[in-house]
Amino acid sequence: MDRLTEIVKKAETLAFDLHFTAARAWKQSGDHRVLVGYLPIYVPREIIHASNGLPVGIMGAGDRKQIIKGDAYYQSYICHLPRGIIEMALDDNLNDMDGFLFPAICDCIRNLSGMFKLSSKGKFQRYFDYPQNFDPAIGGIFYRQEMEKILADIRAINGQEANVEKLNHAIGLYNRNRELIEMIYSIRQEYPWRLSGLDTYYILRAGITIPVEEHNAMLEEVVDLIGEERGEPMDNIRVVITGSFCEQPPTGLIKSIEMAGCYIVDDDFMLGSRWIQGKINNTSKDPLEALCDAYLNQSTFSSAYYDVGNPKGKRLVELVKSRNADGVIFSAASFCDPALLDRPLMQKECDDSGIPHINFQYHENTGQFKVIKEQAGTFSDSIKLWV
Amino acid sequence: MKSENSGKQSHGSSDSSTVKTMGIDVGSNFIKLVLMDYSDKPVLLDKHTEKIRKRNPTQVADEMIRSMLDKHGMDFEDVAYLASTGEGDLVRRKRGHFYGMTTHSRGANFMAPESRTVVDMGALYVRAIKISQDSKVVDYKMTGQCASGSGQFVENISRYLGLSIEEVGDVSLTSSQPEVSSGICAVLAETDVINMVSRGIQTPDIIKGIHISIANRIIKLLSSLKAESPIFLSGGMALNKGMAQALDEQLVETGKKFIISTHPDAIYAGAMGAALWGGYRHFKLLEKKAVSI
Repeated sequence: MDRLTEIVKKAETLAFDLHFTAARAWKQSGDHRVLVGYLPIYVPREIIHASNGLPVGIMGAGDRKQIIKGDAYYQSYICHLPRGIIEMALDDNLNDMDGFLFPAICDCIRNLSGMFKLSSKGKFQRYFDYPQNFDPAIGGIFYRQEMEKILADIRAINGQEANVEKLNHAIGLYNRNRELIEMIYSIRQEYPWRLSGLDTYYILRAGITIPVEEHNAMLEEVVDLIGEERGEPMDNIRVVITGSFCEQPPTGLIKSIEMAGCYIVDDDFMLGSRWIQGKINNTSKDPLEALCDAYLNQSTFSSAYYDVGNPKGKRLVELVKSRNADGVIFSAASFCDPALLDRPLMQKECDDSGIPHINFQYHENTGQFKVIKEQAGTFSDSIKLWV
Repeated sequence: MKSENSGKQSHGSSDSSTVKTMGIDVGSNFIKLVLMDYSDKPVLLDKHTEKIRKRNPTQVADEMIRSMLDKHGMDFEDVAYLASTGEGDLVRRKRGHFYGMTTHSRGANFMAPESRTVVDMGALYVRAIKISQDSKVVDYKMTGQCASGSGQFVENISRYLGLSIEEVGDVSLTSSQPEVSSGICAVLAETDVINMVSRGIQTPDIIKGIHISIANRIIKLLSSLKAESPIFLSGGMALNKGMAQALDEQLVETGKKFIISTHPDAIYAGAMGAALWGGYRHFKLLEKKAVSI
């Protein structure tokens, strides 16, 4: 087994370990350590790191857990992610988490935060809201207060103060993390056959279950390995996948799209790890302000993100052009209101720019991909042969 | 029935006299491989079919490719484009993959350029595809989840009755009183067949009955697709004489005026389509490269 295969295999194990073994081991190997579970999409992980905490991404149970109790908590017209997560909580998979953050995405996640509160899961359960006003004097102050609440929550558990030095150190580590991830995407843009979209997904998803220092080491190695030629180029089309930012697609879906003749040159699967575009100032005397400033001015786009002044459709078109992609696959979880309500507007932007697109929906535990493979296959053929 | 080699896509003025392409169609039971000369008038140079049996399809495909290249004194590098279709992810070293409907349409267009509908009768399903003059897929319908309208089903039944798949067509032609089975569900149809055997129904009548039920299913597909003639039969079952006769008879019985044809190489429609599209892509990529330089 070559080194890259070993890394990918390890990443896959970490990414889908519903018992978070690595995170629990980290907590047990030191004093005053806390685990903070967070849901999609984005939380400023730097402040958790600076408080001697490990942010642990909880992306759902996927197709690795049978949902029995979770179905009693949500109606049939609600997406699959929250029922999988409540099932994990009720099955004690999340017992080692000291607290939970529920970023504002939609009502389902808001309700899930209430369920965790009522079930007394963790020592704190915080619905983490984001500014919708991008004036630093308004939205910036609001966002800072939201972050200060989290710092206080963690401090109440372990008594650790996130001082300027620790915050700047954490910001530096996550800057490097995003930089390495972007390096992987840049290499894949030129040479997508060197690392499959699915392997990339494993590597990114592993990163939300382990300390950032370990993930950075893994990413450094991957960047080195795919910097060299490997694999064989194929006559595939290049696609951007969008709409999968919250409930994650089953790995079979990603594999099916690739097998159908598509190179995935960009996606929003693990968007939280790529949320801030570029570096955050890590030499500031006020690191919280630097984090606020980054959120207000350097955020990527997503259907769960309110930004009237910078329309998502246009940003999607820009992304397609910058990645030199042939088309867009709108792939959203069933009943995902943010993604599905935004879809027509984004499709219109694609139409206006002459960018071909297809769409489909999935559940995180979808097991049949024949139809999706057919759709992606015919999409690929139509671009290769008729565009 | 036509076997004219035409319907080639335009690819500019590049010298294509030595361009060889291969198409490989990995099905559930058989792997079909063709070698083509993608010159100004594409020509089929060689073809080979191999039953997978219980072997690793990837290895079978590798061996078939190697053997065909050796036969023609070629190296792998002499192939401008190896294109797969069907379960093509099992094929190593391919340059591109095309979806089954795209390749069957192109293959049918190559063998019978006037075709406006293709019926791909494969091992696991039957698919009716409406195509344009230049073999673009316009619409399609396929049999549902049940395999009762498929080649695999016919093969299973023939095995129960002690026949080889090669004998089925001729045996069907000798039937005098066909006994029609369920055309909806393979399990029910198999139960029907067991029942027929116990009632002493003759083997040719059982087989013919199966062919009739599949023919009726195909006619329903064609009607719901609003298929246009001529209709080209491709895939493994296309060469089954009993199947063809049952289809002709059922068309008369149902009053449908479809014109149906096939070709001795109909089983290679997918592989040929892959090789032809591979050639087209080869030149398109060369053109792109030239533009970017």
